[in-house]
Amino acid sequence: MQRKKWIGIWMTLLAAMVLVTACGGGNTGAGANTSADEKIEYEATKSQTLTFGVGTDIESFDPHNNNNTASEAVIVNVFDYLLKNDSEQNKVPGLATSWEQVNETTWQFKLREGVTFHNGDPFTAEDVKFTIERVAKDGALKQNSYFKNIVEVNIVDEHTVDIVTSEPDPLLLNRLSKMGAGILPSKYIQDKGVEAFLKEPVGTGPYKFSKWIKDDRVELVKNENYYEGQPKWDQVVFRVIPEASTRVSELLAGGIDVASGIPSTDIDRIQNADSKKIVKAPTQRVLQLILRHTEGIVTSDPKVREAIDLAIDKQGIVDSIAGGAGVVTRTSVTPGNFGADPSLYKQSLYDQERAKELLKEAGYADAGPELTISVSSQYKEQSEVVAAMLEQVGFKVNLDVLEPSAFSERYSSKSFKEIFMIGIGNSLFDASNNYNRYLFEEAKDETDYDNPEVEQLLQSALVNMDPASRELEYQQVQQIFAEDRPAVYLYQMEGVFGVDQRVNFQPRSDELFYAEEITPAAQ
Amino acid sequence: MGKYIIKSLLQVIPVLLIVSIIVFVLVRVTGDPVALMLPETATAEDRAVLAEALGLNQPLYVQYLKFLGSALQGDFGKSFRYGESALPLVLERLPASFELAAAAMLFAVLMAVPLGVASAVKRNTFVDLLISGISVIGKAMPNFWMGIMLILLFSVIWGVLPVSGRGGLSHLILPAFTLGVGLAAQMTRLIRSSMLDILNQDYIRTARSKGIREIWVIGKHAFRNGMIPVVTIMSLQFTSLIGGTLITETVFAWPGLGQLLVVAVNTHDMAIVQAAVFVIAFIVVITNILTDVAYRLLDPRIKYD
Repeated sequence: MQRKKWIGIWMTLLAAMVLVTACGGGNTGAGANTSADEKIEYEATKSQTLTFGVGTDIESFDPHNNNNTASEAVIVNVFDYLLKNDSEQNKVPGLATSWEQVNETTWQFKLREGVTFHNGDPFTAEDVKFTIERVAKDGALKQNSYFKNIVEVNIVDEHTVDIVTSEPDPLLLNRLSKMGAGILPSKYIQDKGVEAFLKEPVGTGPYKFSKWIKDDRVELVKNENYYEGQPKWDQVVFRVIPEASTRVSELLAGGIDVASGIPSTDIDRIQNADSKKIVKAPTQRVLQLILRHTEGIVTSDPKVREAIDLAIDKQGIVDSIAGGAGVVTRTSVTPGNFGADPSLYKQSLYDQERAKELLKEAGYADAGPELTISVSSQYKEQSEVVAAMLEQVGFKVNLDVLEPSAFSERYSSKSFKEIFMIGIGNSLFDASNNYNRYLFEEAKDETDYDNPEVEQLLQSALVNMDPASRELEYQQVQQIFAEDRPAVYLYQMEGVFGVDQRVNFQPRSDELFYAEEITPAAQ
Repeated sequence: MGKYIIKSLLQVIPVLLIVSIIVFVLVRVTGDPVALMLPETATAEDRAVLAEALGLNQPLYVQYLKFLGSALQGDFGKSFRYGESALPLVLERLPASFELAAAAMLFAVLMAVPLGVASAVKRNTFVDLLISGISVIGKAMPNFWMGIMLILLFSVIWGVLPVSGRGGLSHLILPAFTLGVGLAAQMTRLIRSSMLDILNQDYIRTARSKGIREIWVIGKHAFRNGMIPVVTIMSLQFTSLIGGTLITETVFAWPGLGQLLVVAVNTHDMAIVQAAVFVIAFIVVITNILTDVAYRLLDPRIKYD
C-alpha cells in the first residue's frame, strides 16, 4: 500500500513536470519545431529585421531616469532630441529645426511642425516644456544632474520655445542632444501617468515600441509616420546576451547581425568565419591613472609622477591586453569632443631608464617608493601589467583590485590611496566633463589637486559663451596637465563589434545604435 | 497533523526575518548604489541629492524598519535600475526559472533511471564501469564550460539548436541538459546503490527461485522499491535547481531569476536582491515543509509533534 503511494506521487510529479515543460514550450513557440514553411517565412522576414546582441539590458524607457549607454543606445530609436549629434558629433536639427541665443542665459528653439507621437498626439511646444522641466526639477531622476541648471522653458508659440538657464551655459546644446533630453508626450503622461507610459512608451522616433521582455529582448517596429520618411527596417530587435562568448556564438550561428563588446580573444574567430567581420571604433572612454597630490604622499612629487608616466609602455598594453583596440593618448579630451588638443592625441611617453633616474633624483636611490593602485576588477589585467612595469623601474606596488560596486563605494567616498585606475567616458562631448574633478572644490580629498592657473581657466570656461576662446582655455589646461600629470593617461578604448556581412555597420564614438544609420548590404 | 503544519509555518517567520536582516545588511555594507547610478563625472552634491531622494542617507536601522514595514505589506521597494516595484519583477521571472529547472529535472530522471538500473543489474561489468565513469565526469564538469561547449557543437558547428534566449522547446534543450547533467550523475549513482541493496533482499531471491523471468524480477519487484530514495532526492534538488540556475541562465541568456539576481548584484540594485533572495528562501522553506508533511503522511511511524 505504502509503496503504491510512493509510486503514485512519483508519477504525478513526473507528469506535472512534463506539463510544465510542454506549457513553457507552447506559449512562445515561434522558434520551436520550425516547419519548412515557417523557415522560409523566417528567412524572408529576417532580411527586414535588424538584430543586435548586447551585453546589458536597458534600464527602462524613461530617458530621464537612466544613466547607461546601453539604454540610450536602444531608446534613441524611439525618442528624438531637439538636436542630434551626427556621427562626427556635429549638432544637426532633430525636433528643433533651428536655434539661436537670445541673451546670456536664454536660447530660442524653432520646433519642427507636423510631427506626431506614435500614439497620434501632435508634437508641440507644450511637450518640450513638460519634458525639459521634468528632468530639470526632479532630483530623483538619474539625468537630473545634467539638467538642473535649466530654470524654465517658456512657450513663445505652439512651435517656438525659450529655454532659460540659471547662468550662462556653453553646454546647453550638448545637454539637449543627450539621453535626458529625449522628448516625451506630455498629454499622454499627464493623462495616464508615468507607470502606464513606461509600459507602453511612445516617442516621435523612427521606431515604435513593440515589446520588452526584461533581460531577454527589446523589439521595435517601424514608425510609418516618421517625419523623415519610411524607416529602413521593418523591425529592430535588441537581444540581451550577457555572456560574451555566447554573443559571439550567436553571431556565428546567424542569430544576430551586430554583436557588441567582442573580447580580444574572439577577434580571430570572427574574422575567420564566412560572411562575418570585425569593426572597431574609438569610444569616448580613456583609461587612466588618477594620482593624489596631497602633501606628504609620494605622488605629490612631480618627479615621481613623471617617473610613473615614463615607466608605462602604453602601446604595449594596447597590443597585449586590448587586442589592439585602443589609441594611446596624453589627454583625455579625445577628438570629437569640444576642446580637444590634437597635438597630445596618439602620443605617449615611455622611457624606463629616464624613469629610474627620476626616482633617484627624487631621493629614492635604494628602495623605490611604495604605491597602492586601486582598480575595479573589469580592468584587472591592465592594472597587473601597469604594476609590473612600475616595479621594473623600482616602485613597490600594492594592487588593490575591487569588485565594481566596492570600487564605486570607495570612489564616491574619495578614499583611495596614491593612485586609482579608471576608464572615464564623456557623454557631453565637452572637455568640462573631463576636468571638473580638478576644480579646487571637487578635488578636495580626492586628488587634492590645487593649481590656481588651472582653476582660473576651468572656472572661466564653465561660463564662457565664446566657443573660440573657450576652446583655447581647455587646450591650455591640457598642455599644463601633460606636464603636471594630475593623471597619467593610458589609452582611449575602442569598441569592438562583430558584424554579419549582410549589414553595413559603422560604430559611433558615442556607442549608440541608430538603426537608421545601418543599411542592408547590397545583395 | 494540523497542529504540526501550523507549528512549522510559524517557524518560517523567524527564518525569513533572519534572512531579510542578513541580506539587508550585506547589500548595504558592500557598496554604494548611488555611485553606480551616476556617471563617473558626477559631483559630491549630485550624489547627495540622489541619496536623499532614495532615502539612503538615513541610519541603517531606520532604513531596515521602513523596509520591514512595507515588506510585510508585500512591498519590497522599487528597483533602482528599472524604477519599478521589486517583487513583481522577481515574480515575473519565476516561470522561466521553473521551466528550466523542471526540464532539467525531467532530463535528469529520464537519464538516471535507465542508467542507474542498468548499472546495478550489470554490476561490475564493463557497462557498469562505463556508466559510473560517465557519471563521475558528468558530476565534475563545470556548468559554465559545458554550456559553452554545447553551444559550440550544437549551434555553431552543426546548427541544429538555437544558441540562446527563451523561446520554444528547442531553446530549452541545451540549458536543461547543462543544468541537469550534474543531477543526473548524482541520481544515477543513487539509483545504482539503492537497486543493488534491493537485489540482495530475500524477496528478490525468492522471486528468482520461483522461476520468474529476470526482467519481471527487476522491473516489477526491485524497480519500484529502488525508486523510493530518488523521490527524496528530487524534492531536495528541485529547490537547489531554482536557486542554482545563475550560471546556466547567464551562459544561455535565459531570462530567469538567476540572471536577474546576477545583474542586480552587479548593479547593486538592493530592492531586487532583497526580494529575490527572500522569494528563493520562501520557496526552499515551503518545499521543505511540504516534503516533511509528505513523509509523515506516508509513514505512520513518524510522530507529528
